[in-house]
Amino acid sequence: MGFRPMISSLLRNKTGPLLVTLQIAVTLAIVINSLFIIVQRVEKMNRDPGIDVANVIVVDVRGFGADFDVQDSVERDIALLKSMPGVVAATVTNHVPLSGSGSGTGLRAVADETIAPVGTARYRWSEEGLEALGIELARGRNFLPAEVDFILPDSEPPAPPSVLVTQALANDLFGDEDALGKTVYWGDMQGSTIVGIIAHMHGSWVNWDKLGNVVIQPGKPLFTSNRYLVRTEPGLRDGLVPVIETKLGELNRRRVVKTVRTLEDMAANSYRQDRGMAIVLSIVITLLICLMVLVIAGLSSYHVTQRRRQIGTRRALGATRMHIIREFLLENWLISAAGAALGAVLTVAVAWWLEVSFQLSPLDWRYLPAGVLLLWIVSSLAVFEPARRAASVPPAVATRSA
Amino acid sequence: MTGETVFAYYVKLALGSMRRNPVMTGLTVAAIAVGIGISMTTLTVHYLMSGNPIPAKSDVLFAVTLDSWSPLRPFDEDRPERAPHQLTFRDAEALVRLAEGRRQTAMFESSLIIEPPGDEELPFEAGARVTYADFFPMFDVPFLYGGGWDRSADESAEPVVVLGRKLNERLFGGRDSVGERIRMQGRSFTVVGVIDTWEPTPRFYDPINGGFQDVMDMFIPFSLTRVLELNSVGSDWGWKPERINSFEQWLNSESSWIQYFVELDSPLERNDYLAHLDAYVAEQKKLGRFERPMNNHVYDVMEWMEYHEVVEDDARVLVMLSFLFLVVCVLSTVALLLTKFTGKKGEISVRRALGASRRAIFRQQLVEVAVVGFTGGLFGLALAWCGLQGIDYLYDTPDGLTRLGWVMILTAVAISVASGVLAGLYPAWRACRIQPAAQLKTQ
Repeated sequence: MGFRPMISSLLRNKTGPLLVTLQIAVTLAIVINSLFIIVQRVEKMNRDPGIDVANVIVVDVRGFGADFDVQDSVERDIALLKSMPGVVAATVTNHVPLSGSGSGTGLRAVADETIAPVGTARYRWSEEGLEALGIELARGRNFLPAEVDFILPDSEPPAPPSVLVTQALANDLFGDEDALGKTVYWGDMQGSTIVGIIAHMHGSWVNWDKLGNVVIQPGKPLFTSNRYLVRTEPGLRDGLVPVIETKLGELNRRRVVKTVRTLEDMAANSYRQDRGMAIVLSIVITLLICLMVLVIAGLSSYHVTQRRRQIGTRRALGATRMHIIREFLLENWLISAAGAALGAVLTVAVAWWLEVSFQLSPLDWRYLPAGVLLLWIVSSLAVFEPARRAASVPPAVATRSA
Repeated sequence: MTGETVFAYYVKLALGSMRRNPVMTGLTVAAIAVGIGISMTTLTVHYLMSGNPIPAKSDVLFAVTLDSWSPLRPFDEDRPERAPHQLTFRDAEALVRLAEGRRQTAMFESSLIIEPPGDEELPFEAGARVTYADFFPMFDVPFLYGGGWDRSADESAEPVVVLGRKLNERLFGGRDSVGERIRMQGRSFTVVGVIDTWEPTPRFYDPINGGFQDVMDMFIPFSLTRVLELNSVGSDWGWKPERINSFEQWLNSESSWIQYFVELDSPLERNDYLAHLDAYVAEQKKLGRFERPMNNHVYDVMEWMEYHEVVEDDARVLVMLSFLFLVVCVLSTVALLLTKFTGKKGEISVRRALGASRRAIFRQQLVEVAVVGFTGGLFGLALAWCGLQGIDYLYDTPDGLTRLGWVMILTAVAISVASGVLAGLYPAWRACRIQPAAQLKTQ
């Protein structure tokens, strides 16, 4: 059996195959572009934050009343937290990495306010901060306890003599030069010396392209609301959350324990939109492929039923079962190939539109052959069962009347 | 037969034909249902995101921005024409003083500790919108009990509070609490009103802190900021290195953290008001502030939504992709219907031979696809409802964003019947072209 009778049969009945071709083409455009977006979102969520996210607890407290002594309260809270079995380290901090809320600033490598500063997230914590987040110091040293002072509310202390920066921020500031020991300048042109370089850590805003830029000042911020970072031994986090909530609550009635959350939950919340988009698109793709399979399978089996006599005649004239199956698969492949060709054009058009209108990254061309292959396999599977049923039509059917 | 009974007869024929071909019919209905379900889900979210939250007043309410930013660089390097989206505290206070009879409000979000009476319930934190008396009439806030406070309370920094419905339920079990007292930040506040459910979507008066968040727990006068040293829980933006060692210094700083809205009598007053702003800034320039070129703006509600891009790009991408999805579903439906009509050639030939006109056949086929479309649409609506619950769960959206309102339900039914009929037009036309004799011969 050659191509010619098949093509002539396709041409005679052209509307049906044309519709399926169009369906495959649009399906391909949606599937490939969605798949590309999904993979990008998943890669974004799986970036290494440089933080021991799984074992960190974040505590938010707030004192009230005229006689509330914030320094005494913070000291007692931290002492209590560190005395709990299973707690590795604890610090008071101004903000929490990955949480979506934080403080940003601009730094310069030279004291000249006319040049544009390098944007970075800024944290302030004690000498236990690195340990409390499980952050790795690549070079230099951590803060010394003597460098860490209490910072009173509504006060802007002079620039600290020493700061830590991430390698990413160091690169933005100094390029290839070694940043260790160099001075960085704040907005008011005061300088701080870089005493340590953090290999890698994420700041507060997961959607910011400079997420890896972080500078850390030494200090224990005393605000009306205070935050603590607590790192636990692996596996003990969930057990410690309720313990911290009760024990801190009992310690001081002039201070509200607002929330005790895991950093994991806070980070998941920051990525909620990306996760949502990936899940919604996955559902769309799945439904779309199911619909394609059902339609192709449905139409094929309908055709098999309609062509029973024709198939029986062909079998009687010597066509083998293999011939029949191959004929159905070939017919499907012809339609798929036309759909893939048209679909490739549509895919690129949709990708271009997404890129221009929404600043999405340009489509990676490798998704195109991968998507075509996927749809080709799926549509072949869809047509296989009806084709097998066609092949089992006995030659004797040809002799029976309709 | 009268028109009505003909229609009923066609519907009966359609139902019979649907029952005779359960697999094909099921597939067709499923294709329409899935298409409607997906596109209605994304369209509902998009529709609510892009909706006008206060249609009656959206063209006379204006957000105000003044360019108090650094002389060295613009607030937004990517969009240098923009001024900072919030005002400094001192400018906001000054503008309110220069109100000249217009309704206007400066505002920000803060949080306070509520100390319930007795020792049973622990003190807890609640969110507050710190604003002016004009807030309530400007934004048409509905009240359950009482009302907003008087302008005199703004001037004398009276400790009064308007409670949100939820907080009133927590503190007073939902009863009329006007005149009751609450202890917050060591002071006694008097309740003057309780607002009813109020969910403008998007939350137009504060897209900066999130266009789709729940309304604050309560509202208190702006003049209490100084008295209680209230801090903002929203964002603040600064450019000037300033040494700040007291709350008063903070209030006088160049940090931008106050949102500002004004209500004008008509959109035509816009330029007059801009001139008024420019005059204020010109005065400030004499004091050495506002070193940038004059760059003040007002934005009406919908412009302000556009400015903050409250409709997420993701939502637009999803609407676009799901409508392509609907196209796939319509294509499938056409293919399925066409195949089904081909299978009914015999039946149609008989009806034609018995005297049915082409037009009658065409009408009957269209009724059949409309019935299929309508059924698909109903299932699609159910799917869309599930989809919206899913979105709600995935994105943890506030109540307002995933409501399947009447507009959307009617849209869904209209789209499904339309796409069903559109999908059925060609097959129906093909069906009515069938010759009576040709088919009868082979039977």
